[in-house]
Amino acid sequence: MANVSTPISPKSILSISGIGSMKRRRVLGDVIVYVLLTLGALVVFVPLLWMLSTSLKTESELFLLPVRLFPEVPQWRNYIDVWHIQPFTLFFLNTIFITLLAMGGEILTCSLVAYGFARFRFPGRDVLFMIMLGTMMLPGIITLIPTFLIWRGFERIDTFTPLTVGALFAWGPAYIFLLRQFFLTIPREIEEAAMIDGANTLQTFFHIMLPLVKPALLTIAILSFTGNWNNFQGPLIYINTPAKYPVILALYAFSESLSKEAPKWHYMMAMTIIMSLPIIGLYLAAQRHFIEGLTIGAVKG
Amino acid sequence: MNKSRLFAPLVVAAIAVAGCAAPPAAPAPRPQESAEQVPSTPATKVKIRLATWAGVEEAKELQAVIDKVNAAATTYEIVHEPQPADYYTKIQTNLAGGTAADLIWLSQEFIAGYADKGVLLDISDYLKNDTRLAAQLDDYFADILQTAQYKGRTYGLPWIAQPVVLYYNPKMFAEAGVEPPNENWTWDDFKAAAEKLTRDIDGDGKPDQWGTAFNGWPPIHMFIWQAGGEVISADRTQSPIDTPEALAGAQFYKDIIYNPKYAAPQEVIKEQGFSELAKNGKVAMFFGGAADDLDYAHTKDARFAEMKVALVPKGPKSRAAFAWTASTVINAATKNPKAAYDALVDLTEGIHRWKIVAPRKSLASAEVIAASVPQKKASAEVILKALADARAFRIVPRHSEWDSIFWEKFQDPLFQGKGTAAELAKQARPELEATLSQ
Amino acid sequence: MQRDPKVHFCHLGVFLFLERTMLDFYTYTLADYAIVALGMAITMWIIFRILVRLGMKREAATGYALVLPWLIGFIVWTAYPIIASLYYSFTNYNVFQPPKWVGLDNYIRWLTNDRSFWPSLRLTLLYGLISLPLGLALSLGIAMLLARSVRGVGIWRTIYYLPAVIPPVATILLWRWLLGTEGLFNQIMSPIYQLIGIDKPSWFVDERYALPGLVIMSLWGVFGANTVILLAGLKSIPVHLYEAVDLDGGGAWAKFRYVTLPMVSPTLFYTLALGIIAAVKTFEPGIFIKLNSLSTGTFLQVLVYSNAFAGGNSRMGYASALGWIMLVIIMALTLLVFRSSPLWVYYEGERK
Repeated sequence: MANVSTPISPKSILSISGIGSMKRRRVLGDVIVYVLLTLGALVVFVPLLWMLSTSLKTESELFLLPVRLFPEVPQWRNYIDVWHIQPFTLFFLNTIFITLLAMGGEILTCSLVAYGFARFRFPGRDVLFMIMLGTMMLPGIITLIPTFLIWRGFERIDTFTPLTVGALFAWGPAYIFLLRQFFLTIPREIEEAAMIDGANTLQTFFHIMLPLVKPALLTIAILSFTGNWNNFQGPLIYINTPAKYPVILALYAFSESLSKEAPKWHYMMAMTIIMSLPIIGLYLAAQRHFIEGLTIGAVKG
Repeated sequence: MNKSRLFAPLVVAAIAVAGCAAPPAAPAPRPQESAEQVPSTPATKVKIRLATWAGVEEAKELQAVIDKVNAAATTYEIVHEPQPADYYTKIQTNLAGGTAADLIWLSQEFIAGYADKGVLLDISDYLKNDTRLAAQLDDYFADILQTAQYKGRTYGLPWIAQPVVLYYNPKMFAEAGVEPPNENWTWDDFKAAAEKLTRDIDGDGKPDQWGTAFNGWPPIHMFIWQAGGEVISADRTQSPIDTPEALAGAQFYKDIIYNPKYAAPQEVIKEQGFSELAKNGKVAMFFGGAADDLDYAHTKDARFAEMKVALVPKGPKSRAAFAWTASTVINAATKNPKAAYDALVDLTEGIHRWKIVAPRKSLASAEVIAASVPQKKASAEVILKALADARAFRIVPRHSEWDSIFWEKFQDPLFQGKGTAAELAKQARPELEATLSQ
Repeated sequence: MQRDPKVHFCHLGVFLFLERTMLDFYTYTLADYAIVALGMAITMWIIFRILVRLGMKREAATGYALVLPWLIGFIVWTAYPIIASLYYSFTNYNVFQPPKWVGLDNYIRWLTNDRSFWPSLRLTLLYGLISLPLGLALSLGIAMLLARSVRGVGIWRTIYYLPAVIPPVATILLWRWLLGTEGLFNQIMSPIYQLIGIDKPSWFVDERYALPGLVIMSLWGVFGANTVILLAGLKSIPVHLYEAVDLDGGGAWAKFRYVTLPMVSPTLFYTLALGIIAAVKTFEPGIFIKLNSLSTGTFLQVLVYSNAFAGGNSRMGYASALGWIMLVIIMALTLLVFRSSPLWVYYEGERK
């Protein structure tokens, strides 16, 4: 990032031109900006608020006209009901199980692979790296069916294995790319010093390199967590027994029944909020890393 | 110290273990065991898994049936695994992945296809020497039983036959001054009544109630049969939908569907719901399954209209009524074929006394119907008569392709007015017959 | 009747019999996991040893050993499936019987004889072509607002990124609820409806409004992700460029057209290219919202899924063919974007 500069602001115009009437234009400009920002914030907030308020209504309050923003009495017990209608604890455990195993596998193997690409010269390295980048563009549509058939051959359909063991094969090209960038920025002297001290590759990796790329690791951890927590297509294809559903499939099964019976949107919204809370919590706690994750590789320089 | 020597065999071992650990969920695929099997000792009851699409309410009732069956059983214990969401996709994936249940509920459309692919267990030999009531194949209505059979072999036992009956609203008939349906009604009588019952009550120029409502249900096949035609020939090689008889049936259907003179238009059905129109007293005559609650819904909720049951009108050649049926089949990969078969027969007997109508001649009586569903006592006589003319679909292995073509190339264009029945039938027939050949 | 012999990969007899309880489902996968992890580590070590023995330098051997997980993963889970998928696309394969070669039959069927293909292609493409540029324009606007140093920019950013953080499935369900015929959206917009003179649209029920409903849903979700990226891009624009415009007497529009837009175009280009791929692959909205595949069409990915896993009629060969058709479409569109880039993307160091 070469030229990090402050964005243009009316104040700098003021100081450059020194014209008095600019003051009014500045105030007007600011007001417009605030108005627009507030409008945008409303567009963001109102649906979320509506989601929350729906989850706290009773069934008869759902379709009242004219719409009432808030329920008469917030039905917090909706959340408890939802937790009991379906075995939510079980679903949560399943989701956590899948997410943790997949995360662990991804972070470990992706960082090892990235280290290999970053620091070691071997014939064909650049070609392989290009291929790896190419797989980022690959739509998973093509590999979907044969991958299913491979797992079927191993008799692992309807188990957690396809959703977790695959992570051990470094299936995240974006993560590898990011980590490699970070590894490249570490001066070679540090490794050489470690070598001289008698450390072998693995020790160097775990005790020196990894700690130095902590910010990247954190970002990847967050991305990996969200990716696996929200993963829908994988569980949809591989998990068939309701007892093994992760939360997202339970949401799906419940929404399916919405079309058959009277809509239970209050429960639906409560379930959705329950499922989203961990992610939102993570976001609020670690915003910076969340946001960095979104910009991986995007901006040049 | 040469480490690499140690690792090679370790790797081999690791790969061997990784590749070959048997899954706890799936029965390991083994060669199919012969019918003559040493019976398992009574002390160990084998677990037989049953997959159904039952929702919460239905599952509770089914569990009561299962409990009774399990109590009397010595060699097996049935465990119910309901799968109310996305049922057939899950069954397909489970069958493909080797994790499917031992007993599976399948609607009529799915049995021939899976039987053809070798996925279902052939139980013909088991049935031959079985003296239990539910295993007596000649007690079943032949046309219903054939949906569970393929190429002369039996793959499951039907547990229901739902013939179509005509639900009608006596109040609307009285208000319009029309005689309610009787056993001698023909198509013309039906049409005439429907016309008289389509009335504009509030004087705004648009009808507020209609004589009837069609939207692809009832199945057009029924009317083709009544006119003497066939959609699939008995030998399963032809789809003669362009014969004059078949066209007569199709034309009758086309004349009524969405036609504001007789029936509710498409937008109204979309807005207000199809069966809701009947329940809310907007439609005077509605074709429904024998087990539908249209004739006792008003006892549960006074908002719903009271409806009575009559036989469907007679067509030019017969009074054939479509009967929906479903069977319980056995997964060919089951680890315990004999126990699964025993469970199948006992379970079917239990379901025959729970669901109406049981597809067996010995159980075709008003008492049995009233015992299973007391609210249907008043309609039992009519239902029994409907059963006499009930016919099931003829299903071929490539049914869903056939059905897609039948809908996309014939029915849908016909209902939307995009061609005459004769033209569309002529075009669709070769495509339909292409799916009949293997 | 034949059964597919490929099911039985393994007949070496190590059998672990576990009773079916939840704990055992977990331990079962944990066992798999541990074995694969161990096996991977051991294999990496062995490869390293073998390569060194074959005379390779230690550095190169280490490099290979380290990238081995990816390499194996690529071969097993990417390269082989690609070839297999291509093969299957030329067959009829119902999973229970061996695949039957049918040549180009599947492709021809999709393009000429499947009534759900063209509506679905239309829906998928229109969805992408409308929501992507609109979303980018909105994101750019928001990013420009946020780029000014207003008070509390951090709070605004937190709020604006929120939609991108909500799980996609949650967003879909939320909007399915909001866009009901009597839902909040219609209630709020009813004065506008009256102004235009239309009835309340039944967004996901009435076929005419399915696509607009989907686009609205996607626009709300787009608040976060691209905004972040564009904001970073905006912040990296050197101030002196704006000052130059000032000196030339240009106003806000000139600044936008001659400085902001060109400088941010590489980022726009990048997000557009990635966005196309993501748009063609859209899946969840098609599953959580019932779309009639014959009239409005549904998303292509949903067609692949339902053909591959349909009950009683799974056609994996047919579904694979559609996957390849989708790949061709993606490549064509990406190529289009790349080819058109000299027209509108400005790279530093070039003379306009």
